[in-house]
Amino acid sequence: MKTNAGIISVTVVALFLGVLAVTQIQAQDVYSRSLQLETPASLTTLIANLSERNNAIKDEILDLRLRTETARDAIASGRGSLAEGEHQLGQLRVFAAVSAVSGAGISVRVDGTFDERALSDLVNELRNAGAEAIAVNTARVGPRSWFGATPDHALTVDAVAVRGPWQVRAVGSPEVMYVAMTRIGGIIGQFELIYKGTRFAVSKESALELPALVTPLR
Amino acid sequence: MTAAPSTERTRLAHSLVLLLPAVLFGLLVSVQWRTQAERNELTVRYNTPLLDAAKTLQNEQNTLKAQLADLRAELDRIQTNASTQSGAAKELQARIDALKMVAGLNERTGDGVEVVLDDARDTVAAKDIEKSICHNTDLTDIVNQAWRGGAEAIAVNDERIVGSSSIYCVGSTIMVNGTLMSPPFKVIVIGPQNELLTTYEDPTQLRDIKQRRDVYGLGFRVSRASGLRVPPYRGALNVRYATPR
Repeated sequence: MKTNAGIISVTVVALFLGVLAVTQIQAQDVYSRSLQLETPASLTTLIANLSERNNAIKDEILDLRLRTETARDAIASGRGSLAEGEHQLGQLRVFAAVSAVSGAGISVRVDGTFDERALSDLVNELRNAGAEAIAVNTARVGPRSWFGATPDHALTVDAVAVRGPWQVRAVGSPEVMYVAMTRIGGIIGQFELIYKGTRFAVSKESALELPALVTPLR
Repeated sequence: MTAAPSTERTRLAHSLVLLLPAVLFGLLVSVQWRTQAERNELTVRYNTPLLDAAKTLQNEQNTLKAQLADLRAELDRIQTNASTQSGAAKELQARIDALKMVAGLNERTGDGVEVVLDDARDTVAAKDIEKSICHNTDLTDIVNQAWRGGAEAIAVNDERIVGSSSIYCVGSTIMVNGTLMSPPFKVIVIGPQNELLTTYEDPTQLRDIKQRRDVYGLGFRVSRASGLRVPPYRGALNVRYATPR
């Protein structure tokens, strides 16, 4: 009887032990993405990003309210809404990249080894920093642009070859985009670690001129 | 006389057999408890107010986007009504409508492909976790591939991809158009199905993602899909610095 009791005790303890060991191992090896597990530093960055986005939407809401009222008044007084239509058209032509644009911004010069995925990441980072229009050398980046490479190490934007050194120009707030690119741990810092020997130069520009998309969008 | 020491030895042996698992049991319980306790303490002290702020801002953004959509619709109605008044206004409205379509401001429906990207759901060694989860760069690669394959409209978890879209990562949280997201990511692509599938199946493309799927269990699946819907872009147009020429 005593021996049986001992065996049962050992079995029960061993079972618990097994369950606990598995739980512990899983806790270490299954990745959890809960927002609750973010560090305070990450949460602070998320909050800054969300605030910036919300402020941009608030600005546009105010602008749209004003334009809606103006258009209503213009129609009521028999003047029509052509002025509002022209304004909207101008905005959309920039947004869809079908119009050449000018404005302040930044320029990123890349001289050395680089690839299409890095170029795509750079464009993504510029967009996140509020770029309104982007061009790589003389190729305008549009809403449906894609990046590739040729066997002779040229990069492509919408299948059109662009050769290094590459000049990536972006119209938008020069201050915001410059800081986003050059901050410690930012994308340029990461590129410098990955593409050793490649030179990256970021500069603020007071007047950039970017071409329109060459291929019309479907 | 000889039976007594033998019973003693058996009892001692039983006790020792129990002692070792008991010690291990205690050790594991305390490790588990301490891990949990440390996490809770840190969460409460530093993260709770930040977490609340992030959630509040995300909710505010959803409300603002809805307001923006309502205002755009209202301005559209005014413009459309006005365009019946003159030929010039009608022509202008037609140009605006066409641009809205290509810029991603209208809903699109049609056939295409559906791409699902997800973290590995099986347990992997701690050193391989980075390779078994999805990153924002995986999503930008998948979107880039869709445009290459002739996509006409794309959405990631219902966020429309447009000219100003960014897929950004902070910590382990991914933001698309400023909206917080976590896996699985469903990428809806409207466009020519055969060309899109050929592009995704090309072994020279998305090599990193495919290798991580095969080796580390990363979730990556592309399938033909019909009757897809891609919502309109709901964010700000944000044209303040660029002047059309």
